[in-house]
Amino acid sequence: MTDLSYPDVVQLAVPFFIAAIAIELAWIVIKGRGGRYETRDAVTSLIMGAGNVASGLVLGFVAYGFFMALWTLTPLDLGTGWWALLLCFVLDDLRYYWVHRFGHRIRWVWASHVNHHSSQHYNLTTALRQTWTGTFTFMMVVRAPLILLGFHPAMVLFCGGLNLIYQFWIHTEAIGKMPKWFEAVMNTPSHHRVHHGRNPRYLDSNYAGVFIVWDKLFGTFVPELDEEKPDFGLVHNIGSFNPIRVAFHEWVGIFRDVTQRGISMRDRLLYAVAPPGWSHDGSRGTSEEIQADHLRRHPEDRGTPGFKG
Amino acid sequence: MPLELLLILVVGGIAAVTLVLHLLGLSDVPALDAAQAKAAWDREYPADPAIHCTPTPNARAALIRTQNGQRGLVWRFGADTVAHPLSQYRITETPTGLTVRFRDYATPSVHVPLPAQVRAAWKQELEPAG
Repeated sequence: MTDLSYPDVVQLAVPFFIAAIAIELAWIVIKGRGGRYETRDAVTSLIMGAGNVASGLVLGFVAYGFFMALWTLTPLDLGTGWWALLLCFVLDDLRYYWVHRFGHRIRWVWASHVNHHSSQHYNLTTALRQTWTGTFTFMMVVRAPLILLGFHPAMVLFCGGLNLIYQFWIHTEAIGKMPKWFEAVMNTPSHHRVHHGRNPRYLDSNYAGVFIVWDKLFGTFVPELDEEKPDFGLVHNIGSFNPIRVAFHEWVGIFRDVTQRGISMRDRLLYAVAPPGWSHDGSRGTSEEIQADHLRRHPEDRGTPGFKG
Repeated sequence: MPLELLLILVVGGIAAVTLVLHLLGLSDVPALDAAQAKAAWDREYPADPAIHCTPTPNARAALIRTQNGQRGLVWRFGADTVAHPLSQYRITETPTGLTVRFRDYATPSVHVPLPAQVRAAWKQELEPAG
């Protein structure tokens, strides 16, 4: 079975994305609460979204070619039944959790993902602020086990599309908290606001795509606290709405760091693969260092959610 | 979905959202006073807080002096703010103010609008030390 095909659900969802943005905006304007919009920020996010679709059209063949090559190697074929699709969706969400976690812990992958966090706003347009350079992170290899287990590449990509669409609606401040049972199992606006928070407490948490249970399982879950509203954006926010700069600024940063004079080969490698914020001279701060620094100034926060020990 | 239809949806959608946001007044840039400038700096550099903030006359940017003797600049970025230490930068004068260019691809420059009568004083304040 090599010619299986599924619809491109992300493309089909574009009209829904536009309609949902209009509804969220109307809600915020009419109610005077539930989030913020700013023209240039939103337009930048939307252009990043369009660029993401375009890069998928141009570079999608790389990942698909890799997956099809794996598909010819594997003796396993789990077919196209609903149970296979369901299992594929759950396992692909686990795959998403780890790719996303790598995206925050390995600078090479962060360089692709950082643009998604570069808005100081958190609304439905932020959901569309997606990478143009995902192919260059080589994170497609994390999907290899799914293909080798016998899930057809088209099914895996279909599940990935559904995962992305699920994550659209959680990028909003207009929804507070969902019912308790839902918050316990699923990723929600509340959980994902925490993920976008630049507060020391919220750094590197809640990597989930659809099921928040992965964060609870792997120890990265932090609840949204009523007394500490997430402050959206990057630790050091960028000062450009230019989509080219938004898309490539961390890659340029890596290049400059790796090619600077007077550092060892080990340092050059670490500038590319160490966690974001690592520097050979300690002049910058990783998430752990930022949190430790916060605890030195606010020891009363020690042991509270997001601060271990 | 045919590519032509996708293109129309994307371009039309972006244009429509832009127009609506602008007509709703969501392109307006709010003023930046000294307290807001301090909050904006401390938000990004909590370990070296601002002790003195001097907003520009049009309240779009502010010069920051920090506890550790560092200088920085805070400015309005849409409805938000950006804070940047004054290091590895150069200043050029323009007919409407000063442009500060940083060696930072993510934040390449900021234009600080300044009336002619205060421009020289601000340039002196912003000039790289030494």
